[in-house]
Amino acid sequence: CNYVDVAVSGFPEAPGNWKCITHDLNRMICSWDATSSANRGLTYKICQFRAAAIKTPVSAVAGNDFECMLFFLVSFQALIPLTPQILNLSADFSTYTLYLTWNDSGSVFQHELDASWQIQILYKETMETVTLINYDSKLTGKDSILFWNWTSDIPLECTSYYVKIRCYINELYFTGRKEWSEWSPVRTPNSVMVFPQDKVVLVGSNVTFCCLYNEGKSVKFMKYGSESYPLLRLSKWSSAIKVQNVSASVPSGTNVWCSLVPDDVEGTVLFVGYAPDTPQNLNCETRTFITITCSWNPGRPTALYSKRRTKYILFESPKYMELPLKTTPTSKHACDFPVHANQKIYNFTLSASNPLGQAESSLLIDVNQRVHLETPDKFTVSTNSSTHAHLSWYIPGNFIKIRLLCQIEISNSNSERQLNVSMAGAENSNYRAWVDALHPYGTYTFRVRCSASEYFWKWSKWSEGKKLTTLEAPPARGPDIWRQRSPVGETVTVFWKPLLLSEANGIILSHEVVCYLRERMLKAHEVPVPLNSTEIKLGGNDCLISVIAKNRAGSSPPSRITSVDLPSDNVKTELAIATGNGIYISWHSDPNVTCGYTLKWCISSGSEPCNVDWEMFPSNAIDAVIKSALFQPGVRYNFSLYGCKHNGYQLLQNITGYMKELPPKVAPNFTVEETSSDSILVKWEDIPVEDCQGFLKGYILYFAKGEKGSSKTSFMEEGSPELTVKNITDLTKKSLRILGLQGKTSYRLDLRAYTVGGIGPSKDLYVVTKENSVGLIIAILIPVAVAVVLGVVTSILCYQKREWIKETFYPDIPNPENSKALQFQKNICEGNTALKTLEMNPCTPNSVEVVETRSTVLKIEDTEIISPVADSELPEDGSETGTGSHVVVSYCPPIIEEEISSPPIDEPVGSSQVIYIDIQSMYQPQVNPEEEPEINFVTTAGYKPQMQLPINAMKMESHSPTEEDLDKIAGYRPQANTNVWKLNSPDSPVSIQSNNENGSFGSPCSINSRQFLIPPKDYEDSPTPNNTGWSFTHFFQNKPND
Amino acid sequence: CDLRRKLVIVFPAGDSWGIFAFLCAALWNLPAIPALNSTDEVGAGQSIQKTYDLTRYLEHQLRTLASTYLNYLGPPFNEPDFNPPRMTRAEMVPSATVDFELWRSLNDNARLAANYRAYTHLLCYLRSMDGQVAKAELRKNLGHFCTSLQGLVVSIASVMSSLGYPLPSPLGSASPTWAQGPGATSPHNDFLKKMDDFWLLKELQTWLWRSAKDFNRLKKKVPPAALMLRLEMRGF
Repeated sequence: CNYVDVAVSGFPEAPGNWKCITHDLNRMICSWDATSSANRGLTYKICQFRAAAIKTPVSAVAGNDFECMLFFLVSFQALIPLTPQILNLSADFSTYTLYLTWNDSGSVFQHELDASWQIQILYKETMETVTLINYDSKLTGKDSILFWNWTSDIPLECTSYYVKIRCYINELYFTGRKEWSEWSPVRTPNSVMVFPQDKVVLVGSNVTFCCLYNEGKSVKFMKYGSESYPLLRLSKWSSAIKVQNVSASVPSGTNVWCSLVPDDVEGTVLFVGYAPDTPQNLNCETRTFITITCSWNPGRPTALYSKRRTKYILFESPKYMELPLKTTPTSKHACDFPVHANQKIYNFTLSASNPLGQAESSLLIDVNQRVHLETPDKFTVSTNSSTHAHLSWYIPGNFIKIRLLCQIEISNSNSERQLNVSMAGAENSNYRAWVDALHPYGTYTFRVRCSASEYFWKWSKWSEGKKLTTLEAPPARGPDIWRQRSPVGETVTVFWKPLLLSEANGIILSHEVVCYLRERMLKAHEVPVPLNSTEIKLGGNDCLISVIAKNRAGSSPPSRITSVDLPSDNVKTELAIATGNGIYISWHSDPNVTCGYTLKWCISSGSEPCNVDWEMFPSNAIDAVIKSALFQPGVRYNFSLYGCKHNGYQLLQNITGYMKELPPKVAPNFTVEETSSDSILVKWEDIPVEDCQGFLKGYILYFAKGEKGSSKTSFMEEGSPELTVKNITDLTKKSLRILGLQGKTSYRLDLRAYTVGGIGPSKDLYVVTKENSVGLIIAILIPVAVAVVLGVVTSILCYQKREWIKETFYPDIPNPENSKALQFQKNICEGNTALKTLEMNPCTPNSVEVVETRSTVLKIEDTEIISPVADSELPEDGSETGTGSHVVVSYCPPIIEEEISSPPIDEPVGSSQVIYIDIQSMYQPQVNPEEEPEINFVTTAGYKPQMQLPINAMKMESHSPTEEDLDKIAGYRPQANTNVWKLNSPDSPVSIQSNNENGSFGSPCSINSRQFLIPPKDYEDSPTPNNTGWSFTHFFQNKPND
Repeated sequence: CDLRRKLVIVFPAGDSWGIFAFLCAALWNLPAIPALNSTDEVGAGQSIQKTYDLTRYLEHQLRTLASTYLNYLGPPFNEPDFNPPRMTRAEMVPSATVDFELWRSLNDNARLAANYRAYTHLLCYLRSMDGQVAKAELRKNLGHFCTSLQGLVVSIASVMSSLGYPLPSPLGSASPTWAQGPGATSPHNDFLKKMDDFWLLKELQTWLWRSAKDFNRLKKKVPPAALMLRLEMRGF
């Protein structure tokens, strides 16, 4: 019993609306209506009895004595499952389907139970029920997720949908009432969507995307890929973008997405691609007659992948067969189709399709004409002979119905041939072939390929190559032989040439040399390789020599030669012609030669004995070009020509030749045997044969004048004009006299030898011709005689004219004009520094009127003005270097200047005037008041300038152009000038003194001549002026001079 | 997706690092797996270190893979600031967004079990992703990563067994949505599938980051040197 304490007072009443419910069959939740508030302090005690015990549930009231009242209440128990919760509700708009997931809360119950679910679908704003579905499941005691879907009749986009769910547990043993759970809260499918969903469109299409969203949301932006597009408002809950001319999408598709506020993202994927291209180069062929393999090129890529990629279906009408696609390493696609036993003709159609379209290709084939065999496998080659080989290979497949054509390629190092073999087809069988005409001991590489014989379609690939060497066979022929008798004739050396690989038929092990005398074998020699000669003692008899080559397989036929040498007389040596790569030899035909000619030579290399070599020619041959890899250019080879006559060999001719002639290696050794004053005798030696490198054609002697050590370069390069060339073609000549030379002269001689190959190196020699004594004596005597005669004549003349000479060169009274003592240093006025005799000075101050002779001031001023020091100072002023003479104020009177040269005078005067005024005006304001009395004194002293310049004008700060013009007219103003000098350097003691003393100018000056009678010593010695005077430098330096 | 039964792993030709790391894990796991109930602590110290190394390697590998894969998905998934709200459907993948404090308060066993469960499911999901990729190269990389991740799952199982923890039971009764595996719930459109892939990579990254921390912590708790010492003492 459970107690429920309620404060009840007074009598209790039976509780009303008593109800017990359970959600999990484990706990019971009971509820009742409490009695009125009057019954306070009431305690409820609830006891549960088994249903069986309470057979008749009675509602009774116990005795009044107890404060407790017992009510038997009819158990009103109910099983009401918990309200289910929808986990997810989503909509697939393409299929009009709603997907619902919910948790069955199975873990609430301890054991398995049957559960029923009721799902209600409502639609429209008014929430009308579309359908009510019952769904049964089993609860397993664990939570599990249940799925359910529902497909609508009308597109889901058309209206709003709502879903709710409730549950009913059918527990058989539960005695109480079983009820449905509460309905779950209504759920709407997630309605934020972007349309169209996962659409596939053609490249270049225009697509409009719209974004639907729930109430309370708004679109921030919509993007196609990474690009934002302007939004088109469609309604309150939808926006759209338009994308024009879409390009092919990336493999995962182009994302179109819609960003919403508040934070949400929804999107779709657009797949843009192409419809499948018509399959190209559709080719069907069989390799095994078990399947037909069709392959094709897919053509243009569709840009669609995964489930949207192109699907190929190959069918053979009328039968339809969809075949799996084989992945091939190339971009080709392929699939296999089975070959039917009694079918020859196949009509294939290949269809390619993807969501954007489809394309087809067809092909009609006769399978027998489309046989492309597999590469022959297990290829083996074997032999047991020297000329044959057995080949075997395997080809998979059933070719019983056709014949096969196989091509066998046989190649060795220098040849290749192909052999076609036709054979009956078999099933998964080995095929065999037999190859003959092989060369003994030849190494061959074999490979094979096959095709159908009757209808050639394609060769299979070549099988792998197999190498085989055939067995050896006896050498095909005897070796080429030659013999050479010793000079005495006691022995004969037999030579043979090694057989070619193709003739040897194996590895030559030895040669057998046998000497027969009238069919009787005298001696036999077994000579192992690599020896190629042997010596046989003849013992006074000639014999027939036979040589046999032997290999493992046997012996060659014998080669025979007689040892007989016929005597020969008058054997000539002739020259062969070098052809550059061989030696051309010709000979005279000898009618007695019946069995051919043999040309023998010997090539020596270094210290080893020479290798005998020979070549045989038929009897009718008269010339030959001998070639050998051992021939070297510039080396002389000697050949011997033997004629084969019926009774022996006879030496017919010796031949010398070069393969290629080269210029001589060295210069001939030459010496000067004898010299005279006009000739030289030159002598030379022969060049050794090995240094000639060709047949000597002659010598060339160059000679010209030249000192030893002057130049080492050759004459030709120098291009000496006196070069003389002498060509000596007579080889027997060993000396040469050079005539017509000059005596006592050094000559350079240069001698070279030449062949057809060119001129050899030079060797030079210097030689001095002897003196010509007569010429020398004459050369000395003539000048001596001439000198004596001249001396005598001069002496006589001098004696006769002695008076005149004395007058001219040594007079008793010297001419003053030539006296240096009377020469003045300078022309003062013109500033000419050249020493001259005293001249009249053109400077005469004509405008100075002398009133009283006692005043020296003026003179001094004048003197000062024309001080040459001013001249010497001017160049120091850089700005006026060129016009120095112009700057110096000249006191040359205008009259005289005009006399000298009137036209150019204006310029210097004018310019001097201008500068004069400038300086004056510039310094006028600085006039020292102390100087004024002097000006007055000047005025009173009686010197009258041509124009009186007012003092006040001079004191002006700046003067106007009119005043300047005035100054120009004013001409010269010595007083003002004097003032300016003083003003220029007021501190200078000299300038202060100048007016009073002027003694420093020192020299007395004639008023008329205005020329210094004696140039002052100071002026000559020092360029420093006593007065700072007219110097531009001074203006700027402003430095007092002591 | 019971990984404990799948010890035969075919490794695709990939980078040598991957093969090396995987071989390390596999070699070490082969002797460890039969002794699942053994509580040898020397093995634990070693296996924790190796699991930690493998986790770091996977972190590194995932960085490359994620950038390639997100580029394959195209914008906005490859945009660095793309951070969509996680919606209910994203529960397709097990979330690593566990409160930090809550995570720390768990004991080692619980943490290891959570790791084990998470990677098991992430791996299942990753495998399903593999089949849908259109690019062969990317498919190869994904396959490679799956194999490495499988190595990690086996490693975690081994760590747990060597520490004497029971392996977590296969999907419990209270399994969340993602426990059903991909495709169990409503079909997605391609954009939502891409979104799931995006979240998967993000979760995987977080899980690997957290696992590295977990193993590091565990490593410090069970230092191999101390274990050796204890062993010696026991020997005496």
